[in-house]
Amino acid sequence: MSGVIDKIKERLKDFRRPGYYKEFDHHYAIVIDVDRCNGCEACVVSCYAENNLPVVGEQGCEDNRVFNWLRIERYIEGEYPDVKVKFIPVMCQQCDAAPCEIGCPVYATYHNQDGLNVQVYNRCVGTFTCATYCPYDVRRFNWFSYKWDKPLDEQLNPDVTVREMGVMEKCTFCIQRIRGVNDKAKDGKRKVKDGEIQTACAQSCPTGAITFGDLMDPESKVSKLAASKRGYKLFENLETKPSVIYLKRVMD
Amino acid sequence: MKRRDFLKYIGVGGAGVVLGGVFGKISRPPGAKLIPYLIPPEDIIPGVGAWYSSLCTQCPAGCGTVVKVMDGRAKKVEGNPLHPVNKGKLCARGQAGLQALYNPDRIKAPMKRKGTRGNGKPGEFEEISWERALKILSANIKDLSDKGEAEGVYLRTNTVRGHLDKLFGGFMESLGSPNYSQYELYDYRSLRFANKAAFAIDAIPHYDIANASMVLSFGADFNSTWISPVNYGYAYGEMRQGSGVRGRLVHVEPRMSLTGANADEWVPIRPGTEGIFALSIAYAILDAGLYSGKDVAKWKTALAGFSPSATARTTDVAAARTLKLAKEFAAAERPLAIGGEVVAGYDNGVSSLLAVNILNYLGGGTGAKGGIIPNPDELFFADGTQEMDFERGIAGFVKDAASSKVKVLMLHNTNPLFTTSPKLGLELALKKVPFICAMTSFMDETSAMADLILPLHTSFEEWGDDFTNPAVGAPVATLMQPVVSPVFNTRGAGDIFVALASAIGGKVAEDHHWMSYAEYLRAAWNDLYDKNAEISRGTLTFDGFWNKLLQEGGWWKKAVNPSGVKALSTTPKKVGKGLFAKPAKFAGKMSDYPLYLMLYPQAGHLDGRGANLPWLQELPDPITTVVWGSWVEINPVTAKQLGFKEGDKVRIESPYGSIKAFVFPYAGIRPDTVALPIGQGHKLYGRYAKGRGVNPIEIIPAVADKDSGAMALNCTRVKVEHSGGSGRLVKIEPTAKEHGKPTQHGRPIVQTITSREYKRLKKETT
Amino acid sequence: MSNNESKRVIPYSEVNDDVLRTMTKTGPGYYVALVVCFLLAAGLWGGAWFYQIYVGQGVSGLQTPAFWGIYIANFIFWIGISHSGTLLSAILFITQTPWRRSIYRSAEAMTFFSVMTAAIFIFVHMGRPWNFYWTMPYPNQRLLWVNFLSPLMFDVLAISTYATSSMIFLYFGSIPDLAAVRDRTTGWRREFYGWLSLGWRGTDAEWHWLNKAYGFFAVFIIPLAVSVHSIVSWDLALSMVPALNKTIFAPYFVVGAIYSGSAAIVTLMIFVRKFLKVEKYITIDHLSKLCMLLLVMSLIWSYINVMEVFTGWYANTNYENEAMIYRMFKSPIAIIYWLMIATNTVAPLFLMFRSIRRCVPIIFFISIGINVGMWIERYLLVVSTLPRKYFPFMWNSYLPSLAEISMTVGSFFFFAVLFLLFIKLWPSISIYEVKEDIGIPRKKPHTKEMDHEDGSPTWYI
Repeated sequence: MSGVIDKIKERLKDFRRPGYYKEFDHHYAIVIDVDRCNGCEACVVSCYAENNLPVVGEQGCEDNRVFNWLRIERYIEGEYPDVKVKFIPVMCQQCDAAPCEIGCPVYATYHNQDGLNVQVYNRCVGTFTCATYCPYDVRRFNWFSYKWDKPLDEQLNPDVTVREMGVMEKCTFCIQRIRGVNDKAKDGKRKVKDGEIQTACAQSCPTGAITFGDLMDPESKVSKLAASKRGYKLFENLETKPSVIYLKRVMD
Repeated sequence: MKRRDFLKYIGVGGAGVVLGGVFGKISRPPGAKLIPYLIPPEDIIPGVGAWYSSLCTQCPAGCGTVVKVMDGRAKKVEGNPLHPVNKGKLCARGQAGLQALYNPDRIKAPMKRKGTRGNGKPGEFEEISWERALKILSANIKDLSDKGEAEGVYLRTNTVRGHLDKLFGGFMESLGSPNYSQYELYDYRSLRFANKAAFAIDAIPHYDIANASMVLSFGADFNSTWISPVNYGYAYGEMRQGSGVRGRLVHVEPRMSLTGANADEWVPIRPGTEGIFALSIAYAILDAGLYSGKDVAKWKTALAGFSPSATARTTDVAAARTLKLAKEFAAAERPLAIGGEVVAGYDNGVSSLLAVNILNYLGGGTGAKGGIIPNPDELFFADGTQEMDFERGIAGFVKDAASSKVKVLMLHNTNPLFTTSPKLGLELALKKVPFICAMTSFMDETSAMADLILPLHTSFEEWGDDFTNPAVGAPVATLMQPVVSPVFNTRGAGDIFVALASAIGGKVAEDHHWMSYAEYLRAAWNDLYDKNAEISRGTLTFDGFWNKLLQEGGWWKKAVNPSGVKALSTTPKKVGKGLFAKPAKFAGKMSDYPLYLMLYPQAGHLDGRGANLPWLQELPDPITTVVWGSWVEINPVTAKQLGFKEGDKVRIESPYGSIKAFVFPYAGIRPDTVALPIGQGHKLYGRYAKGRGVNPIEIIPAVADKDSGAMALNCTRVKVEHSGGSGRLVKIEPTAKEHGKPTQHGRPIVQTITSREYKRLKKETT
Repeated sequence: MSNNESKRVIPYSEVNDDVLRTMTKTGPGYYVALVVCFLLAAGLWGGAWFYQIYVGQGVSGLQTPAFWGIYIANFIFWIGISHSGTLLSAILFITQTPWRRSIYRSAEAMTFFSVMTAAIFIFVHMGRPWNFYWTMPYPNQRLLWVNFLSPLMFDVLAISTYATSSMIFLYFGSIPDLAAVRDRTTGWRREFYGWLSLGWRGTDAEWHWLNKAYGFFAVFIIPLAVSVHSIVSWDLALSMVPALNKTIFAPYFVVGAIYSGSAAIVTLMIFVRKFLKVEKYITIDHLSKLCMLLLVMSLIWSYINVMEVFTGWYANTNYENEAMIYRMFKSPIAIIYWLMIATNTVAPLFLMFRSIRRCVPIIFFISIGINVGMWIERYLLVVSTLPRKYFPFMWNSYLPSLAEISMTVGSFFFFAVLFLLFIKLWPSISIYEVKEDIGIPRKKPHTKEMDHEDGSPTWYI
């Protein structure tokens, strides 16, 4: 009897594993050193350029419908003259136990083999559940059919879908770049080198605060940075197991 | 085939033919329709991006870029990983350069004025052909030069370095006009003058922030806009978490700018007294016997009046704090003091920056590592065209124009009407100029005054190069190559001048006999290659070198054993003569105008040039998170006294005018100061910029620094009162009503550790 | 039967006539009301929805952290309304409560219609409603199964099951009446109801099977109804939003649903008896009993509301407490919160008094108040929590846009249209059960025991 129960438990364990894979090929992660980050927002524009994020205009911003997949949060604490201003870049945390994946009824958001929490725009029916369940407020919705004034549309990245009205979207860890580099490595019959894949934000970050890499590779830069004693994750107590690791800012 | 199918095919085919025809006509000349797709160009593989190295021209920092081009279109700009200035990184403005290339508001063809000058309505210009446009311009210039009045030809550009600068200079010289100069709102001329005065280097050195163990920044917002923000941003990251000890950053500024926000300590100093504060730190260093160089006694007498206790009242910084900072500075292994544009923006800017240099000298901030490293420029600036003309700033030009000396004015990518105070009278002066030709990509305020508009290529369509200045302690040259075919009927400035030279004829044509600017550029580089063994080292032929240049994006020397600035060219006696003893003067009586006005460049727009790019408009200001508009920062205490809350529309009135903006209560600004960003408030400049926000330069007086000729931005007092009116403050962070206070509400989002804890952790791990 | 006003024994034929009168003899007022309601429903809801589909979800006031707004509030509200009817009918049926008989038909219809309204709100709320069928588990060429872990998927299944069963429940109970209508009408009605009544002849066997089936559904539908609203609550409770992620939500929602549903029934009954002039069937006694139910539900609901505050307090979780404080003390959310407490906790307390329970205007207003309050509850649940999740930087407030308000108002008219059609096309009072209530006319007043003496059907299950 107990054997049967164990078997069921084992089954359930598999089932509960995000994405329902026995194991993942990679664990892509971003380490953000908040002590390096100076809040310059280069990453934000880089993300706009790479991922075809629409510009929503003044009214859109007023309505809080900005498409900043990556946002720099700014907190001002204290009273004059002891003021502390703190910055932190927040993007999709690519949670291992992602609440959004539970919510989506149509599997538009799910875990892929690379350990990424991906969004399939074509499957999305727009129930907003993922965005509501997301504790990090990183999901963005296509409220309208956004247009680019010609010829601004010529800049659109052909590697990234231009999303249609009514679908949810979010930071993908620049999955098109991950795919591109992996394919190239496959063609060359070699392994992907650490640092070969760079997300748009990590690539442009002037201070080097953002580092992208594979946590499954113990020699990678992110693995080493992630082991830092300054490391923490956002709202770790929610047990979402985020893949974005922050390093604490040194501040007196 | 069924009848229905036949009709279907006919329909689809017909539509295809029509569409193809239309697209074909738009995109390329008739002959080139089919061939490229039968025999595709080798570098265009559909769906595969090619990366070309180039140069970013969104600000004068001179970062090297690589541009991803797919199917003949530029898709993404990244930093050139090989480039020593930006090291593979790129800032928001650089990233947004693509939107300048594909901007819907670019000027699409040469235009000639139809109506009267001044308000720049689109109907006032008519499109003409390039031949005609060049003919008009060359006729105007030729007319003058034939009359022997060639000095009536003026050329004003934005910051241009490299061979375009040489071409401009050479052209004007051949023409016989000395009136070629560059204008930029933030051209750091005060800093250059101060460096010249202190260290006898007429240039901006490389500030080695990366290796400094303590940076004392006097209003230098190097994280956001100052000189070379990407380089300094990289340096900032390295200083904090590089291989060495974590550097400490102290920021001295009345307003907590982005750099202030990142600093470990912020000193909210009274505006205009930064120089005095720098000297009182220097005094404290001397007084504590921490300066071990020569002339100790002389320095002591020279700085006698600057004891921390004596200056505390003036600077509003407690003497104890000054002493503490002085000790810290002198004790730091590699201290560095930098003076920025906030300090340069006072009417005593040069002397304040000089004071910062003195502090560097006395406190030991001039070392080779983590200090001030001069940029040897003999390689690229041997003929000295890059020297700054301190006397003939924009004020000098206005004087010339007002006295009708300017007959033909050529403007290149510059918009001084937007960036100078109306009190300077530039607009009136421009109206007196008989012929203005604007070479620009966008219809901005100054271009609207022109009689002839020549649309320029953007940096993605043009050849060019840049001798980065300031470089990074060693010469850097960056090459710019066209990565896409021109989007509109535009031309490069170099090509325009080469064509102009041949049209004018005579000596000018003789001196500039090339067919195109690209040819000139190559020839000039060939020249450099032949002359300098340093450049030619490692390559066999010029062709090989040129290919390498195109591939790597430029040529640069590794800084081997850089040396710091050791010598001081001024003497304690000169310093003591009271060159900078007085705080800055502000227009307006304290009783009528109780608040100091500070202007600063908005991170995304710099001096306003980024305002036409939608990405930058939608990019939240790092501190306030405001988008698509202007705001005024007021201390919450002052705001409460005046009865303002966030988002109120207020009138900011100086003795020279008034503007309206929305209140953003910001705890990081002195209660006696208000700050406004520069960048918005364009009257023209495309659909994204036009009529958005306000331009605070409109309410400042036209005060120039007497030494450097720099226009002072922070030189007036204002009063702020309720105005009411339409519009609203749009922020990425929702308004205060929902938010309460902009704090974390005790949530562990940005987690911090103290520096003591950090040291302990570091000890544990090593 | 303790019915004071209907001392007069109503003849069977009068029952038939009265009910049929509501179906056949309609004045112009009815048509005017129907047309007005239809136009308003089509304009306010249909028009606004079309506009939203055409332009985009952006016409709503939804925004980045507040992705759920008034649509979801409406959805929960209408699902809540739906609870009373069927649940009331079924529970009261099983417990053999006699006063249920004259009101249950309308209540069941209300259930069905409000489930319909609620279901449409799901589609209104979707970003791409034209792909709604992707949420259905069926073999498809997309080779994609639906995500059964998703509470929304539970919703799809629960609501569709509930809608189907409550429709069948309504239909089964109506068959003898449909036959009665068939028998007493001519023309298209005879044909239509003949078709609907499935050839009902009233034989013993038919009665027997009908009672069996009805009894089965009555038992079946009770857990179903409870589960539906529990599942709806999980839509919210399974999120990680402070003040939504609570285990108390399932009972909270079920109680709230029965509460709001009963209030809606009271409101509707008052309308029905007034405008259809069936006061003799839906008597003040019925209303008074419903009011007792309201009182009880109000007390349970209030208790859970208090418990909600304790959840965060006991657990000492700051975010939970902050969210509750925001809801209870920060204007303007707090204003409507306390309005809700006034209408749903304080006002129903007056129903303790018999005189108030028997005063139709007062109970009408109290019941309307409860409905408004319950709508506020749902609105608050979504609006006071979602815009304020974990990141203060993203904190926000949500205000419904014109399109959303228009659709909300329109949904009430849509419901009214359905209900108006119902009373015209369906016997809105159960003829045969009212007759049971009256009993067989005798000289002596009817007593319950006589059922058995008489040999009239007993339908225990």
